[in-house]
Amino acid sequence: MITINEITIVRDNREIIYDYSEQIPAGSITVIVGPNGSGKSTLLAAIAGDIVPTKGTITIDDAHPPLTSAAHLATLRAMAIQNQVYTLGFTVREVIEMGGAADEIMEQLHLSDIANRQVTTLSGGESQRVAIAQAIAQKAPVLLLDEPLAAQDIDSRRRIIALLKKLADEGSTVVVVAHANENDLSWADKVIKDFL
Amino acid sequence: MKKYFPYISGVILFIFVLIALSVGATQIENFWSALAHPGSNEILWQIRIPRVAAAVLVGAALGIAGLMAQGACNNALAEPAILGTSAGASFGAVLAILLGVVQVGSIGAVICGALGALCATSLTFRLASLRSNLSSFALIIVGIAVSAIITAVVGLASTMVTRADARSISFWNFGSLSLITNNNVAALGSVLLIGAGLAWKVAPTLDLLSLGDATAFHLGVDTRKARMLALVALSILAGGAVSTVGTIAFLGLAAPHIARFIYGPAHRFLIIQSALIGATLLVAADTAARTIAAPNELPIGLVTSLIGAPILIVLVSMRNTIWKTP
Repeated sequence: MITINEITIVRDNREIIYDYSEQIPAGSITVIVGPNGSGKSTLLAAIAGDIVPTKGTITIDDAHPPLTSAAHLATLRAMAIQNQVYTLGFTVREVIEMGGAADEIMEQLHLSDIANRQVTTLSGGESQRVAIAQAIAQKAPVLLLDEPLAAQDIDSRRRIIALLKKLADEGSTVVVVAHANENDLSWADKVIKDFL
Repeated sequence: MKKYFPYISGVILFIFVLIALSVGATQIENFWSALAHPGSNEILWQIRIPRVAAAVLVGAALGIAGLMAQGACNNALAEPAILGTSAGASFGAVLAILLGVVQVGSIGAVICGALGALCATSLTFRLASLRSNLSSFALIIVGIAVSAIITAVVGLASTMVTRADARSISFWNFGSLSLITNNNVAALGSVLLIGAGLAWKVAPTLDLLSLGDATAFHLGVDTRKARMLALVALSILAGGAVSTVGTIAFLGLAAPHIARFIYGPAHRFLIIQSALIGATLLVAADTAARTIAAPNELPIGLVTSLIGAPILIVLVSMRNTIWKTP
């Protein structure tokens, strides 16, 4: 369970999120939608503990991300950022194993064929799937994904959505940021649109 | 065959060490016999062995220091000379020597060099992140500027003071192994042991830092603490090397890159390989520096560049997917 309690986030003198409260239940998929610059990625980053809200609090179960050590936080939530850039030529398998066991998740996300390729040679969509796989491999109860469908083809989108549904059914709290252009959100249990 | 691949660098270093011990301005008669009997030949045991041992230790220290700099900054251009680390080490050592607190090559000079290196590197990081998050561009530009200022101050100080034990501006800028003693070798060995130990501890975290600060944090890394540990290791290694033999160009940049191109990106394995390749490059460069124009010596920094740069260019041309700059 994620509890967002009256948070305000100000960045560069601009109020990005104002006095916003929300409860995100465990075992569900919640999608945050909005146009560019609406603050949806900022909200996700605040839940992940990357950003400290200017006012208000966010808790994951009973833990406050800004007051929790990085190591402990990694056992509570995992996150895949939108534009993952790889600078060193580790293989796909090595990168996913930095999160946890790789074989099953590589199979599910159709990455087994490129397991031994260097991540520096991947396309945008492949890099994004590797980042998603790494976050899922972490096996944290809360999974945060920033625009995971943005650079994916139809088959990959289907695979990712099916996997998120399976994880939610198994009890994970899945929070996904999606662009306002995303038409079909029937796979989401809850959609958050207005949080400014 | 492939399982023996990692040992090849060790074998190559061993061969270069034997060549370095056997050649020089003076020919050593019955070389193998002299080598087998400690103290039997003064030139071999009092001059060449300490010098070649120092080349191995300094080359290894600078190789690992460069790896720590590149890993901590997640930047292919980072190295002790560019981040201000080498200049800071020179400054710390020169200041302490001029104040009469320590002597060149002593443990005291090494400690002052390491402290100077740490202060200068921290200053570079602090200034580079004043107005925004730390960017690679700001880090390199600020590092070059900090390095230039401190190098100028070291140059002024060593030019104005004529004491022989303070060493020359050429020594601090280009490095030299010609004045090495057995005591220096012991101090360098201690520095390498401590610095490499710290580097070994922080290495797996640097693998995660290569994914960027945000992803490393999501995976459980305290990025500030990891970076600080790597910078302390960098400062100890570069500080110890520079305060004893001056600034030796290019090794800190070339050795980790050459190791990475051959052996891949995992930092723990790269610590060993960067050390071996850095040591080999410096032993080869020092041997060339003291034999090409014997009995005169060439500045060693020039020779390390002449040997290391072509190897790096060939490797970059052959295989350039190991490091991708965003």
